[in-house]
Amino acid sequence: MAGDEFRLRLCCGKRGRLRFLSHLEYSHAFERGARRAAIPYSVTKGFSPHMKAAFGPALPVGTQGLREYIDVWLTRYVAAETVLAALGQALPGDLAPTEAGYAAAKEPSLGAACTIGVYEVRVEGGDVAQDIVSRALDDVVGAGVWQVEHKGKTKVFDLAESLPKEMDVRSTGEAEVVVGVTTRMGQGGSLRPDSLVSHALSRAGVAGAVTLVTRLDTLIETEEGTFRRPI
Amino acid sequence: MSSVWERVEPLLGTVERPARYLNSEWNAVHKDATEYRVALMYPDAYEIGMANQAIAILYERLNAIPGVSAERVFVPWVDMIERMRSAAVGLFTLESSVLVRDVDLLGITLPYELTYTNILEALDLAGLPVRADQRDETHPLVVGGGPCVFNPEPVAPFFDAFLIGEGEQAVAEIVSAHREALAGGLSRPDTLARIACIDGVYVPSLHEPGSAGRGVRVTKRVVDDMDACRGPLCPVVPYMDVVHDRVAVEVLRGCTRGCRFCQAGMVYRPVRERSADTVVRDVLEGLRCTGYDEVSLTSLSTTDHSQLEEVLRRLTRRLEGTGVTVSLPSLRADAFGVEMARLVAGAGRKSGLTLAPEAGTQRLRDVINKNVTEEDLLSAVESAFRSGWRRVKLYFMLGLPTETDDDVRGIGDLTAKVLRAARDVTPADQRGSVRVAVSVSTLVPKAHTPFQWQGQIPREEIERRQAVLRESMPRKGVDLSWHDADVSLLEAVLARSGREAADGIEAAWRAGARFDAWTERFDLAVWREAFSSAGMDIDAMAHRSYEREDVLPWGHITSGVAEDYLWAEYERALAGEATPDCSFEACTGCGVCGPAGLGVDMVLGGERRGR
Repeated sequence: MAGDEFRLRLCCGKRGRLRFLSHLEYSHAFERGARRAAIPYSVTKGFSPHMKAAFGPALPVGTQGLREYIDVWLTRYVAAETVLAALGQALPGDLAPTEAGYAAAKEPSLGAACTIGVYEVRVEGGDVAQDIVSRALDDVVGAGVWQVEHKGKTKVFDLAESLPKEMDVRSTGEAEVVVGVTTRMGQGGSLRPDSLVSHALSRAGVAGAVTLVTRLDTLIETEEGTFRRPI
Repeated sequence: MSSVWERVEPLLGTVERPARYLNSEWNAVHKDATEYRVALMYPDAYEIGMANQAIAILYERLNAIPGVSAERVFVPWVDMIERMRSAAVGLFTLESSVLVRDVDLLGITLPYELTYTNILEALDLAGLPVRADQRDETHPLVVGGGPCVFNPEPVAPFFDAFLIGEGEQAVAEIVSAHREALAGGLSRPDTLARIACIDGVYVPSLHEPGSAGRGVRVTKRVVDDMDACRGPLCPVVPYMDVVHDRVAVEVLRGCTRGCRFCQAGMVYRPVRERSADTVVRDVLEGLRCTGYDEVSLTSLSTTDHSQLEEVLRRLTRRLEGTGVTVSLPSLRADAFGVEMARLVAGAGRKSGLTLAPEAGTQRLRDVINKNVTEEDLLSAVESAFRSGWRRVKLYFMLGLPTETDDDVRGIGDLTAKVLRAARDVTPADQRGSVRVAVSVSTLVPKAHTPFQWQGQIPREEIERRQAVLRESMPRKGVDLSWHDADVSLLEAVLARSGREAADGIEAAWRAGARFDAWTERFDLAVWREAFSSAGMDIDAMAHRSYEREDVLPWGHITSGVAEDYLWAEYERALAGEATPDCSFEACTGCGVCGPAGLGVDMVLGGERRGR
């Protein structure tokens, strides 16, 4: 990396109806916003020069993200608050960044560093109640491993490894609960918390469906095993 | 009027590409106080329709009128249509998610004949009767516009009115007349009678088909000053990848090259260039306002713009170091065209270069008035490959009038020469990567062109000529592709038939045809059967020729180009005589300019370069 570049880390979002964007659409929307904001972004060298930006782990279409991280390289130092304000004017509210801070040039990429996802999965439907859903989830976790077929491939998740924290279930209304799920994204792919919850419901014969999935936080796991925010 | 978003959102979790239905894109216009609502529809999927300039222009113009709001509508993809039908959600506008059946005016652009079934699908999904004579005062006024309205008859029964020609100024007049009619509580027929008085508006219910000369006669609308009519400066920026996903700045309108097969070249006359200053200003403003990293300078023949070189030099200087690229949609097949392409590509990546000689022999190029010589083409190719291009795409047509097997074999010979010229100037170690893509379509004779009297060659003959061509084509280094002959056949039917075709179109839609422009969804058998059930033979219709004295189905619509001129051009074609381009040489008498024509003259920013 050239020494004259400044790596600014932004905490953005993919909120509300924009949760239906794909990762590619989300990244294009950010880049277009950054150009509208006229921040002094760096441009890659090579045959097709483009904005130098890197994104944290992708969210599936339909999953909301409240703290999604993006690194963008600038050609000169601009106060983080100034960039934040400019982007706030140039991006739809559902994508706009809420925090910004410079990151060291040698820090690992967001994609490699952010291995922890903290999710909330909203479940609604006839049989749904806190104790019933908790029991259904406990049964699945008790099984130890979970095998998923996705697009013709089989993924096997070791749940003790993939779920670094215990899931919690909160009642939020009549026949409605919210399941808190913390996942560790690894080499073998990322566990989709909504799929896990749906699997638990159908395995236990519970009538109910996932209606909203939100990633509350995207975190870095330190060598000591603690979790921290990227900024 | 209430939003149906609450009922739409739950459907999005299980459909493909939900970004099609989200609205809330950057620059989308949301007007709160609205007395009159317009829905502007492109009759295909979002990712196709978002590239349409007409919708973008009219969206901005209509939203600028106090009390009027214009919102976009696209045809939901088949999976979403299914979900909407089972959830009883009608077709809705993107911005406010209001039902299309509740708006005042539904404007539909007709970009291409193979979108016609989508119009019926959309009307039906909106809960509107598909035929205008079944609709009443409680329904929106359905008005068509765009390229295909130059022969509106095949879809005439589905529309209340059409606007023929350019809409920049006319849409406000239509809206104003309709608002007055609504305020006065006029009946649908009285409303239509009033709207029919606006220049350029055609109301099919007031016209008896086949009565050109005795019934109504409608002359297209045309804008006199392109600099005064700025394009959409802040177009809506889609979230999903769409076709032509970039800022488009129209640099000129009209083309007088006079290619005799080309409808656009006849119906968008006269040539009106925008000045270099306006173009540069609008490019920079468009980029600033959208955040795109690419801008396209659009028109029918951008390399003909008299100040193109100046525009490109100014833009490349202003955009240096931003990663923003400029693209040219089509290139003139000569060295100047390549020089312009080189200017925009700079030292960067050189994607393919597309050139359209259209015919394989000079004789046949003279017939179609494609004023490109073999020397022009080969010098363009040499210049391009010398500058680093390694791929070129060539467009040709089969089934041109007077075409012989020698002309067909000429396509193969010319391709071989192009390949040789390209290899000769390419360094020996890179010759392996030289590719020539050849794309061949079948002539679809179009209304308002010199070939409008001529039928398409029969289906079996197309196949025979394709076989002749395949034989003559060099094997190595050439990628040969065909425009599906079944598609060309249906295009020919829909381009030149009269009102009777509407029954066939409706029958095809009822039999399940929709999204016919999508290769994987197109099935000619459905159309053949549908037309046959309506008592028509599509093969005969595609092949049908008209006589000079026949009343053409579109004879009551005029683009300003005199029918006598088109006939004279047809005769010159058969005699193999070329006609010059009036923007480079003298007037050729097509009848468009001046007080005797449309009252609008050619506008050039300077002397045109090249031939």
